[in-house]
Amino acid sequence: MERKLIIAGIGGQGVIYATKVLSQAALMRGERVMASENHGMSQRGGSVMSYVKIGGSDAPLIRRGTADALIAFDRVEAIRNLPFLRAGGSVFVNGADGLEPAVMTRLNELGIGVHAIAADARAKELGSAAVANLIVLGFAAAHDGLGLTLGDLKEAAQALGPARALALNLKALETGAGLAAPRPTLEWVGEGMT
Amino acid sequence: MSTQLLLGNDAIALGMVQNGCQVVTAYPGTPSSEILAGVVKFKKQLGREIYTEWSASEKVAFEVALAASWSGLRSATAMKQVGLNVAADPMFSAAYTGVVGGFVIVPCDDPGPISSQTEQDSRLLGLTAKVPVFDPSTPAEALAMVKDALELSERHRLPVILRPTTRVCHAVQSVEVNGSAQPFIPARPGFKKDPQRWAATPGFRLKLHHELNAKLAAIEGEFEKSPLNFISNLQSSISDQSEIRNQRLGIIASGVAFTTAQEALADFGAPVPILKIGTPYPLPRKLVTDFIAQFERVIVIEEPDACIELQIPDRTRVSGRLDGTVPNAGELSPEVVMSVLAEALDRVGVSVPPPPDDEALGAIIQSLKITPRRPRLCPGCSHRSAMYTMKHVFGPNAIYPGDIGCYSLGTNIRAIDTFVDMGAAVTMATGFYHAARFTDDKRPIVAMIGDSTFLHSGITPLVNAVHTGARFVLLILDNHTTAMTGAQPTPANDYSADGDLAAKIPIPDIVRACGVKFVRIADPYDHEPFEALLKEAQTFTQSPEGGVAVIVADRPCVLYDRAPITENPLPVVITEQCDGCRYCVEAFECPALVLRADKSRVDVDYRICVDCGQCIDACYKGFIVPKEAVGSMQ
Repeated sequence: MERKLIIAGIGGQGVIYATKVLSQAALMRGERVMASENHGMSQRGGSVMSYVKIGGSDAPLIRRGTADALIAFDRVEAIRNLPFLRAGGSVFVNGADGLEPAVMTRLNELGIGVHAIAADARAKELGSAAVANLIVLGFAAAHDGLGLTLGDLKEAAQALGPARALALNLKALETGAGLAAPRPTLEWVGEGMT
Repeated sequence: MSTQLLLGNDAIALGMVQNGCQVVTAYPGTPSSEILAGVVKFKKQLGREIYTEWSASEKVAFEVALAASWSGLRSATAMKQVGLNVAADPMFSAAYTGVVGGFVIVPCDDPGPISSQTEQDSRLLGLTAKVPVFDPSTPAEALAMVKDALELSERHRLPVILRPTTRVCHAVQSVEVNGSAQPFIPARPGFKKDPQRWAATPGFRLKLHHELNAKLAAIEGEFEKSPLNFISNLQSSISDQSEIRNQRLGIIASGVAFTTAQEALADFGAPVPILKIGTPYPLPRKLVTDFIAQFERVIVIEEPDACIELQIPDRTRVSGRLDGTVPNAGELSPEVVMSVLAEALDRVGVSVPPPPDDEALGAIIQSLKITPRRPRLCPGCSHRSAMYTMKHVFGPNAIYPGDIGCYSLGTNIRAIDTFVDMGAAVTMATGFYHAARFTDDKRPIVAMIGDSTFLHSGITPLVNAVHTGARFVLLILDNHTTAMTGAQPTPANDYSADGDLAAKIPIPDIVRACGVKFVRIADPYDHEPFEALLKEAQTFTQSPEGGVAVIVADRPCVLYDRAPITENPLPVVITEQCDGCRYCVEAFECPALVLRADKSRVDVDYRICVDCGQCIDACYKGFIVPKEAVGSMQ
């Protein structure tokens, strides 16, 4: 099955590491992978995004209106990259507040599910702000939004290392997955809402 | 065989290591920087003996690798596309003299441009220099093409270009890798004297030019039959859509534009034949002409300029960048390629679905006025401190020539007025000084250049400035690394590309040797002494005996050596009095200083703050204070 995923955030939020985890997980399932990363200037605190195509073509980029899922580590970057999603796709966004009401209404009409998670706060509870990216990934996997299971991501994180961060990385993936409730759309998992 | 995830640049590096390159050189530059790092990684993994060098410049890198080839070794050199401008001089010459061991030049093009000053097409530089070019579409193809390029180079004794673009360099693909590949070890004859060739005078150069033309003719013949040039979709074109069956439309594509066009046509369900060109120069003209003859109209899709299109002998039925069918600037994104193909299909009566963009959603997002977050200097970056003090001393009217590196981001805080290319801070300052005599311009000139850029292209300009009596202040921002591209060592570091010890060439010694009489070294974190020094430097440039004044702003890059901060942290808080005046946000622009959404005040984002304490001076009202001071007040 072909999947097109967009990962978005700000330089320093681990967009590239998240891309590696997704690509590695797909590779370990024996699937074809074509991903595309941002390097260089944009890593200096600027908007960063990457594309992951699993089981699809060799073209490195994803056209607007065709992505199955958008995984965003920042609310503003989530909104900016919404046009990549196809009707019926999903957004997984780090942020307690979900997205702007005007956006939500239109996304609902397009059948695009929005799943928000306060990953920064959860990451802090785990002892490292840096693992918010993996919490969002685990959350998305548990929603069946990636075509990759939590187990796939954990195996990939194990293969990628580094060993010293492994326990924390696995915990972050599990934490995210644990916060995913089996509801289809318009769902918040944030402070004050569980 | 195993399937691995390979970054395009790693694929190129692996190709170099697997195919027996013994000398690989590079100067860092996006999107090329991971190639040499990859060679170091793979040579260690595979236990190969390879000399790797982060050279002082692309010209240096080119010539060091060329000499290795003339010694009979396989060699390679990598750089970003504008780096090939710097190395163009030896490339043009080496095309005439030829090579001995396989020699591959990898200039990485940057359509967009995403991180460069131009969108130039290295394939066209190859065409001008008469150097054959390979154009990979994917990491897997780039890996395979390194071997093809080395073999072609050896067979015809010519340098060969392998030209990837950003979307190949930074693509990650699942690639079948032959782990057991034995390296090709060529005979090692060493350098054989042949002054007529290797030191050819103009008289013999004409002969070499004829020889070069003969080589290119032979190579074009080989490219006619190369499996790197093939027609895709030909079989399936005899299918349902009658207009396509009648062969009204054909596509010629190369590089990433090929895979993008392939995907778009598949999505359209329109199997238009595509002639994929893997060897754009010299163009296999018979293959291309025969392909074009089958169609009423052929569209050429290539990046970033019209290399294939320009070489097509008869362009009557051909459209592309030259007639505006394909946009002649900007990256060929999937959206652009799709719209070009949709229009072309429409002209032959094949209707395709409209793009799936949702206009209503687009309009809502636009109304929220969300713009991409621009890159900024990192929290704790010493360049910010140097520039902030510089602006404080010289004011908004001074002329600030800048240069290429992280500190180019100084444009955000209006600390840079110009950048042209590597080293131009020093030459532009010189030129502004000499021009000012005619324009009666008394404004101070304060130029800024980084350590790696100074060692790359600042030394000759500095010699020139001193010799011609120019007067300006030059700040050399020495953060002990090539930061923007991922911390590659410079000749001022005491270690080499593979981490071995190397001779350190101190920058202040070089500056003094250039004849500069005012040379000071200072830590830009110490605002007051740094400010005093800037004033002293300015006085020197105006004194009767004065000239160029150089201050080396010495402080390691915070991304790669945080020890000076962690050993001496200065955490800050913003007091209750903060009124959200935005001064610090705009004039200092640290990503950790964040204006609240309601604009009422500025907060410190402690997730990214590094406790450098540098922003204390960024609030002239005194509302940013050391945490300790607040603690003692309570």
